[in-house]
Amino acid sequence: MTAANNTTEPKLLPGDLAIWFFIFMELLVFGIFFIVYAVMRLQNIEMFNYYQLTLNRELGAANTLLLITSSYFVIRAVQAIRLNNIKQCIYWLYAALAGGTGFLILKSIEYADKFSEGINLSTNTFYMFYLSLTLFHFLHVILGMIILFAVAIKAKRGAYNAQNHTGIETGASYWHMVDLVWIILFPLVYIIR
Amino acid sequence: MKKFYNVHTIWLLMIVLTLSTYLMGMQGWSGIAVVLFLLLTAVIKGGLIIRDFMELRDVSFLWRAIMYGWLWTVCISIAVTYIISL
Repeated sequence: MTAANNTTEPKLLPGDLAIWFFIFMELLVFGIFFIVYAVMRLQNIEMFNYYQLTLNRELGAANTLLLITSSYFVIRAVQAIRLNNIKQCIYWLYAALAGGTGFLILKSIEYADKFSEGINLSTNTFYMFYLSLTLFHFLHVILGMIILFAVAIKAKRGAYNAQNHTGIETGASYWHMVDLVWIILFPLVYIIR
Repeated sequence: MKKFYNVHTIWLLMIVLTLSTYLMGMQGWSGIAVVLFLLLTAVIKGGLIIRDFMELRDVSFLWRAIMYGWLWTVCISIAVTYIISL
């Protein structure tokens, strides 16, 4: 037995390589945004702690549950297509889209509440960060949903099967990134004080 | 143990961790231990997403280093600023 036989080749990244460079770039931007938030908080601790309490934690937590569950549905879609179960794959993708829709609805309720109180980006530093961070993420949820919807339509047209499903893995990877970012954003902006 | 480690139990674990984060927030607890616990919870959830949802557990070290490196760098940086403020 040769040494080469003993080593296992690492797997390739799931999905299209291009989406991963996009994901790394997105994570870099969000990462900088998070760190800047934490540093700015250092200079305005009382203000950040005070206005953080005005946020709706119930909606924030519910949105976290929705995104995690939606990510779970996406991984089920990937598993289904690997078994060549196209119908199941489409159902799971639609379920994931429903989770994303739920997120957008709850977030819109939260924004409507804040905007009706006259809160905007220039209200204070905390709200500037809260609104810009969450709105930036909100836009990513919409983009992720557009990708998942496009993938679901293609799957319905028979473009994917057990051997060829790179498109589904690509959409799934992006959607998990959207979830990953919210996993940090939720405790940072809504909970930790 | 492997029998219980799958996407279903991982999803369930993340739900439980999210609820624990929410409940700690509702109690209004603060302090270094609480901040570290909440950030560690975020790191665990983020790690599970990277490893098992994004399926990066068996990809080359470089890709895993980028993803886990991002997660740890962000959370440690946040932790440092909160520790300074306490």
